[in-house]
Amino acid sequence: MDVPLLVLYVVVFPGLLFLVGYAFLFQFLDRKIAARMQSRVGPPLIQPFADFVKMLAKETITPADVKRADFDWAPLLAFAAVATAFLYVPVVGPSPVAFQGDLILILYLLTLPSIALFVLGWLSRNVFATIGGVRAVTQLFIYEVPFFLALLAPAIMAGTWSVSEIVTWQASHPWFAVLQPIGFIVALIGLQAKLERTPFDIPEAETEIVAGPWTELTGRRLALMRLTMDVALVTGSGLVAALFLGGPLLPWALEPAWLASLAGFGLFLAKTLAILFVLTSLRIAMGRLRIDQLNDIGWKYLASAAILQVFVVLAMNAWWAP
Amino acid sequence: MPEVVVPIGPHHPALKEPVNFKVIAEGELIVRLEIDIAYNHRGIEKAAESRDFVKVVPLLERVCGICSHSHTTVFVKGIEEVMKVGVPKRAQYIRTVIAELERMHSHLLWLGVAAHEIGFNTLFMWTWRDREAVQDSLEELTGNRVNYGINEVGGVRRDPTDRDVARVLRRLPVLEERIAKYRRMIAHEPTTLARFRGIGRLTREEALRYGTVGPTARASGIEYDIRRDDPYLAYDEVPFEVVTDTHGDVYGRTLVRIGELLQSVGIVRHALENLPGGPIKVATPRAAPRAEILSRYEAPRGELVHFIRTNNTDKVERLDIRTPTLANWTSVAVSLVGQHLADIPVVVAAIDPCLSCTSRVTIVDREDRETKTMTWEELRAHGMRFYREKRGV
Amino acid sequence: MTNGLTAQEVAATMNEFGLVDQVRSNRIRIVTPLPRVREALERARRVLACDHLVQIAAVDNRKSFELIYHLTGPHRTVLSIAAEVPRDRPEAPTVSDLLPPAGIYERQIHDLFGIAFVGHPDLRRIILNEDWPGDEFPLRKDWKPRPNVFYGGVPEEAK
Repeated sequence: MDVPLLVLYVVVFPGLLFLVGYAFLFQFLDRKIAARMQSRVGPPLIQPFADFVKMLAKETITPADVKRADFDWAPLLAFAAVATAFLYVPVVGPSPVAFQGDLILILYLLTLPSIALFVLGWLSRNVFATIGGVRAVTQLFIYEVPFFLALLAPAIMAGTWSVSEIVTWQASHPWFAVLQPIGFIVALIGLQAKLERTPFDIPEAETEIVAGPWTELTGRRLALMRLTMDVALVTGSGLVAALFLGGPLLPWALEPAWLASLAGFGLFLAKTLAILFVLTSLRIAMGRLRIDQLNDIGWKYLASAAILQVFVVLAMNAWWAP
Repeated sequence: MPEVVVPIGPHHPALKEPVNFKVIAEGELIVRLEIDIAYNHRGIEKAAESRDFVKVVPLLERVCGICSHSHTTVFVKGIEEVMKVGVPKRAQYIRTVIAELERMHSHLLWLGVAAHEIGFNTLFMWTWRDREAVQDSLEELTGNRVNYGINEVGGVRRDPTDRDVARVLRRLPVLEERIAKYRRMIAHEPTTLARFRGIGRLTREEALRYGTVGPTARASGIEYDIRRDDPYLAYDEVPFEVVTDTHGDVYGRTLVRIGELLQSVGIVRHALENLPGGPIKVATPRAAPRAEILSRYEAPRGELVHFIRTNNTDKVERLDIRTPTLANWTSVAVSLVGQHLADIPVVVAAIDPCLSCTSRVTIVDREDRETKTMTWEELRAHGMRFYREKRGV
Repeated sequence: MTNGLTAQEVAATMNEFGLVDQVRSNRIRIVTPLPRVREALERARRVLACDHLVQIAAVDNRKSFELIYHLTGPHRTVLSIAAEVPRDRPEAPTVSDLLPPAGIYERQIHDLFGIAFVGHPDLRRIILNEDWPGDEFPLRKDWKPRPNVFYGGVPEEAK
């Protein structure tokens, strides 16, 4: 890809601009679906964007004894991390910046928001924020292992560490959701936990610790942090769609090329929205767990399931190559 | 982890009313806690001593926003007993219907709040939607949604028409079905079970020892229900069961409240279908003879007690209100120790605390005194000015 | 549910404490001198199974204070044990060790009537604000808000 096209790819489509717009759409759909399920009206389409603009305009308050700069960079870092991660997610076709090992990079970048939340909670010297930060990190250690294992299983089977190549592999084979159903479920649950959504909204449990690490976030920082979580939702669903649902590639060739790209993009939208729907339903159908209960579930069931999946994949690789 | 003091309240998203807990926690576990309940002093007991029986009823209605009917009924019931007036049957039945509708709206509200405390917002939204049906019924019967203003000494103030009654009766089957659905939901939804079961447990002995009342006591297997133990209004003529449970935890309290919801539906239906005719009030003397009465009432949250002392005048000599929340409060502090920080909201919510009831007793502070000196005209002028300036009306 | 207590039954066990009077179909009242309250409560709890404290009502009858302990139990009859607290020496023995719920009621009465409960482990303010003047007890009949006294809260000048 030549440089102007690459810049276009990174900044406009499917890079930053599309990503932010799509994140707003995701937040809208998430809220709207939830509202309809709870027999409420829900927000209008423009609401997430309006919220964002409103929060940008609000006063940014730095708690006493906190260094301004530290409080400023944490949300920025988190946002930059998830936005970068999205570049490696195949949207219309294989990502142009893909390389061997970008899966690991995405996983690493996706953990940064949680770390940023912990840092924010720790820095803000607020009891609720500190407890929330500690909970965020505790939760990170609980879900991260099964989540990683579940996402690595497709890589092992496809024999590549690049998300785009895993997608290409699936074009000629069944989807990994079919081949690795356990891993798919673990990945969805792990994604829900990563995004700190009910039943895993333990770090920001409103009724217990106000807003956890978010308590002292105001104005621009809050806007950016919320956008980060929306973007992480898009990136996460895109990643799971790519790894388990075949991503944007069609199993058969389509002519001309622009039509193939368009169909790929449509597939990307359909698959990520389907994942969003599942995640939202999960959020609506449940209450919040306690951190010790999550610990039990995470290590006892999720981690065992993920390890089992990896073993199954290894066995399949050894005896039956699809 | 070292011990940390987590201040919860007086302003906290989990609390609908001001209360302050100083929770001393070690990591996520609660070591001990201190409770400060009184942020809502309004001096109602003192104010009640200076108002006659006509004026004191609306005042008592404002002791609590949820159980407003409870506070007026328990008071007028006591005064009527002192005056030895027989209240017409129809009035007693109407009071019973309102009381049970109030219990339903209170329990539905509670169910929603408890679900919200564990982050289960869907149940919260659903129960509050259904609560609207109850509130609409109350509005049709009394004209108001919160402070019904239907009680007065000697009877009730508004006679529902047959059309009102029919409309309320039509809503009941839907409500019954929904409540049954919530019972199934609570019994099967895994996160709810995980967060309700074994949390805030009180054994029967503890519940007795700490003097719990209402659903909190009944969830620990104590059959203590004033409606049956000391029947008032029309409860001796209406069939109903005292719902108890043996779990003793938040889950048990939920089951008891849902069971009571179904009983309340039955009571309302029976009372409305057998609503006797006749007058709705009798004339009462202005003054009450010198007497002392302990008036008890099963409010949605438990036994509500008004101790009334009268002295041959048209005012009470002393009105001592003991709210169910105050009776249950001791048990909360006990059952929270050793629990998780995350369980505070739901354990506290499980007794359905009503803090405006509980801390009603005290007196004017500076602002209140100022308000008092404001005459009606000044207040009116102030209100008009306020709206003209702020709202452009 | 067992049958209610009768006045005879109560009189048989409680007669030594004072006058037993059936004031209502299910309420029996006993007037007893203040120092014997604890003993009377303990007896009622042990012999008559009155294990549930409904309320401690406090009344200012202008000459003295009255404390009325309302008890009930599985028999569901309310047993009211009344005692008088002299105005010049507002002290009463605590019963919070016998009946734990009494602790919170006693704090409330202490706060509003200024009756000290001797032996109460934690007689802090519960209803009034912390900076309420210590010698003002709003539910006493002779109490009136005085215009030049600061009753706590945010001072006018600070607003």
